[in-house]
Amino acid sequence: MGGYGEVQMIDENGIRADGRGPGDIRPITIETGVVPVADGSCRMTWGTNEAIVAVYGPMEAHPRKIQRQDRAVLDVAYNMAPFSTTDRMRPGFNRRSREVSKVTQDALESVVLLELYPRSKIRISIEIVSAEAGTRCVGLTAASVALADAGIPMMDLVVSVASGKINDVVVCDLNKEEDNYGEADLPMGIMPNSGELVFLQMDGDLSQDEFKQAWEYNMDAAQEIHKLMVEALNGGDTQ
Amino acid sequence: MTIPIVPKLLRSHLSNLAERDARLDGRGRWEGRELEVQHSILPRAEGSARVRMGDTIVLAGVKFQIMTPYPDRPNQGGLMCSAEVRPVAGRNWESGPPSPESIELGRVVDRGIRESGCIDVDSLCIIPGEKAWQVILDLFAVSDDGNLFDAFALAGIVALRNATVPAERFEVGEDYQLSVSKTPIMCSYHRVGGRFVFDANAREELGGDERIHITLGDDNNVHSLQKGLKGIFSADEFTEIMDNAIERTEKLRKIVDEL
Repeated sequence: MGGYGEVQMIDENGIRADGRGPGDIRPITIETGVVPVADGSCRMTWGTNEAIVAVYGPMEAHPRKIQRQDRAVLDVAYNMAPFSTTDRMRPGFNRRSREVSKVTQDALESVVLLELYPRSKIRISIEIVSAEAGTRCVGLTAASVALADAGIPMMDLVVSVASGKINDVVVCDLNKEEDNYGEADLPMGIMPNSGELVFLQMDGDLSQDEFKQAWEYNMDAAQEIHKLMVEALNGGDTQ
Repeated sequence: MTIPIVPKLLRSHLSNLAERDARLDGRGRWEGRELEVQHSILPRAEGSARVRMGDTIVLAGVKFQIMTPYPDRPNQGGLMCSAEVRPVAGRNWESGPPSPESIELGRVVDRGIRESGCIDVDSLCIIPGEKAWQVILDLFAVSDDGNLFDAFALAGIVALRNATVPAERFEVGEDYQLSVSKTPIMCSYHRVGGRFVFDANAREELGGDERIHITLGDDNNVHSLQKGLKGIFSADEFTEIMDNAIERTEKLRKIVDEL
């Protein structure tokens, strides 16, 4: 978190540099079936973020040591393509992508009805081909759409969205500029039908009141994004 | 990459089709799949392209870095080309360090582009002996339904032709368009059911044998060749493929040049 106090990212009327109000999210598009050879897939653009997610399975879990006798296992890999960032991202795993993969897997294992597919594996590949800010939220949200597109039974979709703080004002869905100078970041993974959470992280500095505001922004945004996800899964146009 | 079991039924079905000069998806022997080419589609890349051939989809992105020229070539920049086929693209592709298959893909595409001389490495020099541009072409498979080679090569040259050198961001002058003087095009042929066909899909690759990749430049000059996988081919067979490649690359070059 930078906290560069001099850079004004939001004006006295609560209008942000890109014209959004504090609770507004960036434009989102969602499309399914974008990886024709996969069992389910999703392409999601969110601001200038773009994620492509493919789901393969349920299939045989190998090596056998990863098998669970009573349920399926998920194999989630989050990765940023070399050309997804301003400075080229060297290919291969790094600590950040491993952690994002893990928390995404933990979130999805919480909603997928794993007990229905003992001894099998469901592979979820999250590829960020263009990164702005909030790629883990795009990845998790798109992954839940891809799982639904693959016909994998789930308790609910997962909507992931983050709120943060710029110039001491709590705002929803930070863009790249805001993220660079942001003072806090609270990404959440929300089950839109129940309002329950499957993913939560936070870093930065928020007072109790600011935290509550950020939480509320995320909850409201989740409902808005959920509508777009359902439309995409019903074959609708999200533009 | 895990090698799937090749069903004998598939192989014999492909042989039967070949006898009738037919293919699995109804195409003619030298017929390519429906082609879709877009450029400048990735906001973070300095040049980019998306190519779709049937259900094969790939992306190419160009990035620039500043490098110190090699001591024996103080006036030259560099070109690097790498291909990554990650598990997103198909159930047989696995994560981990680059597989021999994806390294071969990257290297064959690299040779075709490099040897055609389409990028003048001398023009990439900023300060002789001190600073030069390194052009990095990253090829990324979204969906592998066969013949990633041609899709990568096509996406690669389209991305380069639409690349902007980000001089302002690196504080070495004004942005300018990367100069790409030629249009090398690759054509790939697989032996399926005993004879060579153009643009094999994944099923044909699975039940087929060796493959041959040919990259031709603007004057039909040959810039890269590669024979892959187990198999024996005759000089006559190669002549037939080369003749087809000359015809095919001309058509594809026209598409790229007119984008």
